[in-house]
Amino acid sequence: MSNLNARLAMRSLKRDLRAADVRALFVALMLAVAASTMIAFFLDRLDRGLERQASQMLGGDLVLEQRDPFSEDLRTQLEDAGFTLSDQVDLVSMISRGDRFQPASLKAVDDVYPHYGASQVDIGEGTEPIASGPAPGEAWADPRLAQLVDIGIGDRVQVGQTELTISGIIEREADQSGGFGSFNPRLMLNTADLDATGLVQEGSRVEFEILAAGPPQALDNVQALLDELRREGVEVSDVRVDQPQLGNALQRAESYLGLAGLAAVLLAGVAVAMSTRRYVERHLDTAALLRCFGASQRQLVIIFSLQLLGLALIASLIGAALGLAGQALLLWLLANFLPMTLPPPGIMPLGLGVLTALSVLVGFAGPTLLRIRRVSALKVLRRELDPLPPSAWLVVSVASLVFGGLLWLYSGSLPLALALLVGGAALLGVLWGVSALLLSGVLRGVQSLSGKGPWSQALRLGGRQLGRRRQAGLGQLMAFSVTFFAMAMIVLVRGDLLNTWQDQLPADTPNYFAINIQPSEREAFENTIDPHAEAQSALYPMVRGRVIAINDQDPREAVRPDARGDNSLRRELNLTWQAEVPEGNEIVAGEWFANNDESADTQQGWMSEVAATPKAAPVPISMEDGLAERLGLTLGDQMTFAVGSDEITTEITSLRNLNWDTFRPNFFIIFPPDVLESFGHSYITAFYLPEEEQSLVNQLVRDFPGVSLLNVEAILGQVRDVLAQVTRAIELVLVLVLLAGVSVLYAALTASRPVRAHESGLLRVFGAGQTMISRVQGAEFALLGLASGLLGAALAELATAVLYLYLLDLPPRLHLELWFLLPLGGALLIGIIGHSLSRSLRQQASAASLGLLGEA
Amino acid sequence: MLHAERLTKSVTSGERTLTILHDLSLSVAAGESVAILGKSGAGKSTLLGLLAGLDTPTDGELSLFGHPLSRLDEDGRASLRAGRVGFVFQNFQLLPTLSALENVLLPLELSPRAGETDTAAQWLDRVGLGERQNHLPKQLSGGEQQRVAIARAFVSDPELVFADEPTGNLDPDTGGQIIDLLFSLNQEAGTTLILVTHDHALASRCDRCLRLIDGHLAAFDPRSLVSDEAPS
Repeated sequence: MSNLNARLAMRSLKRDLRAADVRALFVALMLAVAASTMIAFFLDRLDRGLERQASQMLGGDLVLEQRDPFSEDLRTQLEDAGFTLSDQVDLVSMISRGDRFQPASLKAVDDVYPHYGASQVDIGEGTEPIASGPAPGEAWADPRLAQLVDIGIGDRVQVGQTELTISGIIEREADQSGGFGSFNPRLMLNTADLDATGLVQEGSRVEFEILAAGPPQALDNVQALLDELRREGVEVSDVRVDQPQLGNALQRAESYLGLAGLAAVLLAGVAVAMSTRRYVERHLDTAALLRCFGASQRQLVIIFSLQLLGLALIASLIGAALGLAGQALLLWLLANFLPMTLPPPGIMPLGLGVLTALSVLVGFAGPTLLRIRRVSALKVLRRELDPLPPSAWLVVSVASLVFGGLLWLYSGSLPLALALLVGGAALLGVLWGVSALLLSGVLRGVQSLSGKGPWSQALRLGGRQLGRRRQAGLGQLMAFSVTFFAMAMIVLVRGDLLNTWQDQLPADTPNYFAINIQPSEREAFENTIDPHAEAQSALYPMVRGRVIAINDQDPREAVRPDARGDNSLRRELNLTWQAEVPEGNEIVAGEWFANNDESADTQQGWMSEVAATPKAAPVPISMEDGLAERLGLTLGDQMTFAVGSDEITTEITSLRNLNWDTFRPNFFIIFPPDVLESFGHSYITAFYLPEEEQSLVNQLVRDFPGVSLLNVEAILGQVRDVLAQVTRAIELVLVLVLLAGVSVLYAALTASRPVRAHESGLLRVFGAGQTMISRVQGAEFALLGLASGLLGAALAELATAVLYLYLLDLPPRLHLELWFLLPLGGALLIGIIGHSLSRSLRQQASAASLGLLGEA
Repeated sequence: MLHAERLTKSVTSGERTLTILHDLSLSVAAGESVAILGKSGAGKSTLLGLLAGLDTPTDGELSLFGHPLSRLDEDGRASLRAGRVGFVFQNFQLLPTLSALENVLLPLELSPRAGETDTAAQWLDRVGLGERQNHLPKQLSGGEQQRVAIARAFVSDPELVFADEPTGNLDPDTGGQIIDLLFSLNQEAGTTLILVTHDHALASRCDRCLRLIDGHLAAFDPRSLVSDEAPS
């Protein structure tokens, strides 16, 4: 029996593919699958690409760091979990050549180094990528160290108690582990030479690192172990958690892409619902006939479900192929950014695509399709005996439920999905009411037109036709406004995202950081760069200080257990002082330091006490809110810093939110002025040096040998590239959303075709010419478009505000242009599409229009 | 074969109840051909719907093939019809998306004889459309469509065929040919035929004629009167 059902279903489907509603259904499902698979494929690969990149920057998928050598037992556990291990030791020590001495940041690497990527090293034949560290007995120096101690390839340098041969000048390290923490120039050596240096001794300041590389499964295997290590004070960097700061922009792009994909799916769903309605109406006669010949209700459902399922599967396959092609195009667009050796696309996104198509079909077509089982066999004799359509609430509820499930699946957050669903349902109720009011208003407005011209007449007639089919009109109004809303939102969010990115990284974003500017050099340095550099940030004084107590306890005891290995507790922090809140910082809790002039007394109070007994009264400090959250600290908590040989007790009086993506100096801890000045300090600044001024760098290195210049052009360029390419990716997705929107329009207009055919037939019988009918239809569509545009604009404005606040983390704003563009664009778009889709109706003879209607 | 006892069918519209069929009884024996005559709106199609189990009476008992229909739900009645009852409709009721052959196959596919394509093709041959198997209904004339419908009605070797104004949508010449075809096939197959029509000439070709007036059935000799019925 099931065979014959399938045969019957497929036989009709083959022929049915010519029907407009089936085509609309097919296109909508195909678009839903194409959008969802393309985005899923893309995000899947983007994530993997980012993770690979992050692993490279981190030095491994997992990095452990502590002051003592790691135990063999831990090594065995990690290797058993599936990791390959590489050892690294970081320390600061004096190196010398002849009478030149220079503190250097030593990085000893083993033969496994690096896990990912390669260093850029000049070993005598220009800079080339080398995927290893220096051999035993050799060392690589960075250009600054080479200049400071005047060494070149082949020279020997004294490191502790041994001598090493410089075999390369290292331009860029494969990883950044042990990198930015120290501003001393770098010397990289082999771990085999460490013992000979005699530098690793009891009490010396050495960081031992295990860089581990392995599959995600390996990371899963050791999570419990990592938690334990964190509690023991080991600094643990897990690539999934500690991705570097390409961060926010891409995260937003991912949120956006996910959102755009869902918008496409929602629109496709609306199109599916509308097409299915027409599909069912068209097949009621068939169903009745089948009943007549003895088909059971169950059989009817099976036959038509199989038919739609077949349709969905074909649409899924084509959609998935399109999605695959689309993601290949996205990858091509992103080729410069993603690592070259990405694993092939997984099967998961494909499954997700098919699941999406089936869910959309079940959710948006299911209740409408079930109408077919209630058809009476008697309909073969009495055509007017149609089963009642399913209640609008049932259709909407089932669709919402399924869409909520998809939201959950895609967002991975049940509360978010529920909130969107409940909000959406409430909105739909309100929308229904508002649509009804709006439609009445527009129709009343049109009826009051008193003009005698052909257009006024057409508008009046068109309005009246719309009024006659009030329920259908309302349905279309809602569908169109949701469509316009989704399209507008995707365009708006895209524009605002791009603007925000552009604002964030303008052309003159600093490309150089200068560190270690001594107070005596400050003026000379500023004078040197001032004529050449643009967009220079303020010079921030910087004092190194170590946290030695929190609330009078050992810091590791006072913070959250999982924060015991936090970098901020293990290393010296860069402390600064500022009178004003620095640019790009925002106080989110507490208050900034009172102005010196306005509250001289209180300032004087703690200042004088600081001067007398540094421990007596806590100094107010401002802390970055992220750090506070990590450590579990809040306003009123006290921190004691060791600065030089002094101890300063402070109290957190404000928390700051700051944007780490701005490429400007940022500080975790800011002191008020007049506390740290007496300690040894240097300055840090960031500035933009245009391409043509690059020769200044050599002058700076020569004139200010102690100043470290960090060129962040490469990183900046990478971020810009990513943004530019992700923008193109977003545009591609936007096209899909717009197509899904058009599929809704097509489906809706197809669904209303028979009724319109009948009306235009009547008009012709009563003597209206083609021009008049054409105008009336155009006017009706334009009115529908106008009202939908208005409603769409209101919805989009509301939704973008909510989205910006809660999901994309952008400030909301009013979009005035929307209120003009959507109603006008809606009137034009619906007017034109509707009008041209109805062309064949106008050309039909009136008798045909009134007779057998549009049974394609 | 078919037995109806005191059938009543009323419909309610608002507060008004309209009785279309009233206390109507009828028996049809196997192999018999029965014509039901009546004016437009007399309730002919309603009666046909009841007799075929497409609709349920307000009151009275009806049994088909020995099964009391009142004890069956809609699915039960449908399964009783499957493969045993054929239909010919005034407006042909061919599925527009299926070819002539596929339309004829339809009742077979809903019976245990699914997939007997050859049988369907033979029946198309018998109604003179062997060459048009793959044509869609809209590529066929009205007469040809009704031939396909007749082939479809007989293809499953049904015990009973219902025909509802089979010539209503055809010109007299074509209508005549269709009627000849219907009766000759009916005779060959020995099928029971219940024919609803307003055409006395057509009715006169049946073994028995009944006239539906004011919700009641009465025996009637169509040759006794000149046809005065208006086409519906």
